[in-house]
Amino acid sequence: MRHKPVKVGRFAIIFPIQLTLLLAILMLCPLPQAQAETKTSGDPRTMRFAPIDFQPPKAERLALSNGMILYFLEDHELPIITLQAMIRTGDIYEPANKIGLAGITGSVMRTGGTRTHRGDEIDERLDRIAAHVSIGIDNTSGGASLDILKKDFDAGLALLADMLMHPTFEEEKLTIAKNSALEHIRRRNDRPSSIATREFWKQLYGPENPYAREPTEKTIASIGRVDLAAFHDKYFAPNNMIIGITGDFQTQEMIAKLEKAFAGWPKKKVVFPKVAPVLERNKGAIYKVIKPIPQTQVRMGHLGIKQSNPDFFALSIMNDILGSGGLSNRLFQDVRTRQGLAYSVGSVFQPGKLERGFFLAYGATRTDATFQAISTMIKHIEGIREGLVTDEELRTAKEAFLNSFIFSFSSPSQIVGRQMALEYFDLPTDYLDQYRDNVAKVTKEEILRVAKKYLHPDRLIIVAVGDEARFDQPLSVLGKVEALAITP
Amino acid sequence: MKKWILAVALLAWIPLPVSAQTLADRVVSHTLSNGLRVLMVERHQVPTISFRIIYKVGAANEVNGMTGVAHLYEHMAFKGTQTIGTKDYPAEKKLIEQIEQTYTALRAEEGKGIMADSKALARLATQFEALQKEAQNYVIPNELSEIYDRNGASGFNASTGNDVTTYMVSFPANRLPLWIAIEADRMAKPVLREFYKERDVVLEERRRSVETNPGGKLYEDFLFTAFAAHPYGFPILGWPSDVGSLSATETESFFKTYYGPSNTIIALVGDFKADKVIPLLEASFGKIPTTPPPPPVVTVEPPQRGERRVEVEDEANPQVLIGFHKANLHHPDDPVFDVIDALLSMGRTSRLYKKLVVELKIAVSVSTAGGSPGARFDNLFTLSATPRAPHTTKELEDALYAELERLKTEAPSQAELDKVITNIDASLVRSLRSNSGMAGQLAYFEAVAGDWRYVLRNRDAIAKVTGADVMRVAKKTFIKKNRTVATLSPVENGMGQMEDER
Repeated sequence: MRHKPVKVGRFAIIFPIQLTLLLAILMLCPLPQAQAETKTSGDPRTMRFAPIDFQPPKAERLALSNGMILYFLEDHELPIITLQAMIRTGDIYEPANKIGLAGITGSVMRTGGTRTHRGDEIDERLDRIAAHVSIGIDNTSGGASLDILKKDFDAGLALLADMLMHPTFEEEKLTIAKNSALEHIRRRNDRPSSIATREFWKQLYGPENPYAREPTEKTIASIGRVDLAAFHDKYFAPNNMIIGITGDFQTQEMIAKLEKAFAGWPKKKVVFPKVAPVLERNKGAIYKVIKPIPQTQVRMGHLGIKQSNPDFFALSIMNDILGSGGLSNRLFQDVRTRQGLAYSVGSVFQPGKLERGFFLAYGATRTDATFQAISTMIKHIEGIREGLVTDEELRTAKEAFLNSFIFSFSSPSQIVGRQMALEYFDLPTDYLDQYRDNVAKVTKEEILRVAKKYLHPDRLIIVAVGDEARFDQPLSVLGKVEALAITP
Repeated sequence: MKKWILAVALLAWIPLPVSAQTLADRVVSHTLSNGLRVLMVERHQVPTISFRIIYKVGAANEVNGMTGVAHLYEHMAFKGTQTIGTKDYPAEKKLIEQIEQTYTALRAEEGKGIMADSKALARLATQFEALQKEAQNYVIPNELSEIYDRNGASGFNASTGNDVTTYMVSFPANRLPLWIAIEADRMAKPVLREFYKERDVVLEERRRSVETNPGGKLYEDFLFTAFAAHPYGFPILGWPSDVGSLSATETESFFKTYYGPSNTIIALVGDFKADKVIPLLEASFGKIPTTPPPPPVVTVEPPQRGERRVEVEDEANPQVLIGFHKANLHHPDDPVFDVIDALLSMGRTSRLYKKLVVELKIAVSVSTAGGSPGARFDNLFTLSATPRAPHTTKELEDALYAELERLKTEAPSQAELDKVITNIDASLVRSLRSNSGMAGQLAYFEAVAGDWRYVLRNRDAIAKVTGADVMRVAKKTFIKKNRTVATLSPVENGMGQMEDER
């Protein structure tokens, strides 16, 4: 749930998972070439193309007797096999006095050896066969993966299964993981963008909320091997895991291999701790972090919706028009292209899976244009609630979404990963189809309705990190400002 | 269940030398009549195509006073053409010319410094703003990108490096004619509209990635220290004063010099028929007039006369970057550096990770790179590391130098060398999995090495590297006199940060 701007070449983009996470349908068969247009000299503005006719393959699903869910999709192009696993867990479940435990557990499962192999020995074996293995735990899920040449698959699978079932958390590898976590804490104020994002989450969800809280030196120091073992023991079980496999294999053989690799791993009842729900703040607030830097980092937003909310489809198109689709969205057009105030500017409307998601508008601008940029951003958040979007905006947003839909299915591991995520988060198996069909139906009126209902410019939480004395106008013009003290 | 692959002959880039032939067989290369190189691989599993256009130009082609121009042009390439992005090009063109005249006069007056006529300055500045506002009336902002978006473009972006500038996008396969029409148009007749606003955007990009980013500052200072003469010392984003003084006319002239057909590589990977595509490319891109070959980069970095060190003070935690000068990618020893790179930092069993992170516990991360900041010209082998408090960059340096000494005195085992080639083969296969990855690899090596097959030849050369080669190259390269060291030192409360007064 913590999304940070990612720089990709020319554009700074925040990837909202759902938008890249699409859906699809399309009909089978290897694509007839463009029929509508074959001339390349015409006016690109008026070229029209037939819809793409493509039915992506679906992965096969199977439940083993130990409760493990499997997805398979064969792909014989390259002699590689990729396995990805999702485990029902997350750092939202770690105890409040051990923040950081989930992440460290995942990391040391990977590095800290098993009952039969030392960690160093596993690393050596994997590197020798150029196998990539990772294990990690984030907010709301655990993940593991194996990417390996076909000829070495059996050896790789045996090691991964061993790490998942019988990790021993060698003391030295725990020390290294804790060292790394502590150094990360020391360094987390080195970049203004990280400060702005983190402080925004803390104000949005509350500093103690599992979706925003951060480890401290104290919580990391308190983590010991017994904690890792207990966390692992609580959540890692075959019936709490989904595995997806793509690549160069035969499904029947693969089922047998997986049954063997995880043989004897008992089912177990997993009880998830209750996570306190987030509380909505009923008014906005402005926060500043003062740093003598030449560019101000701005975040503003408020709580959003859950993925299951049927208004999500209209909201995703609304947000594309406001601040996310391509270069023609309103924030980009005005703040960047027209006024030249920012390289990175945009908005995200991210639905939550288990907890409510958020609306976020972000930007970074030169110090003496800070107020101008912030007020322009607010103006557009207000503006999209005040009048219908244009036909042109709606058409561009919908066509962009529908025509790029196919890229959600451009690789087998993408297809399988998506099916796994739907099952993991209890979304309908045809959710992606619904997504596409619903987006196609979105109207201007619908966008206005959801913008009014779910955007709250009067309740924005605004965080600005910068050199306030040199701003074009003080933030206090917008309301009462609270200074945040930053501690490592 | 349906099989992902239907007919398609096995691509099988099996990590064995034979695979080279398999890949070579599938790449169709063609040179258009004006010298533009095209590389194509058909892949019919999904009805999409990934496109790359690489121009053999980057920050290494810049000169003092105009640093950042390659990157600024890359931004301008998204502004449209004489038909896209405008409501009335002839009228707009007149205004753009007036803007340029005014800017030239304004810059000349500003250049007089304290002798400048303040009234003339104010008048020119007002006129400059007014003309830009007027020109804006003719602009359809971001129209090019909007057309691409509506047609389902994915990964539409560009990047500027020291060696090359890359434009990338993927489309549903039936949009091939659209891509050709737009790209041939912007290669032939781009219009640098909204130039001075985009220049401001680039300065924001610089503030974001350098001036408020400790790692960005360190890398910038590292490069200009290591390269006192060669343009590899220029920041890709340019010096702020240079970027802030560039005119649209100068930027367009840079385009005309370096974006000619013979300086360009196009790669297409995906669902199309190569024999059908070639005539379409010939009829569009092929009609762009040839231009004279761009001027060569003549500057050669003189050998260092002693170790060079630079310190960056910032309100941030320490880091260290170390570079040793080495030859470009055509040198026969280049594959030896690939092996050294892998021995030192590839994976958890690499020498530096095991020594600095696991055994000594003085670092939280360490990495190396075999060709910074580029490959076309003589470059650097670099090592970078992040210390774990309270350990210092000095301790990291000592530990890193000890490992480099070990390379000189002790040949790596055959097992270590085998591990290197196995991993390099696997990463080659992985890099070719996606259409865009494959298009990127083909176009990049064609551009920097003159032939995409370099990637296969280099793989074979790596396989032949011996322990004695490693020792010989290490002895020659990793010496104090040949090294540049940059350290990031913490200061309290930003006393080191008084910059960006533009």
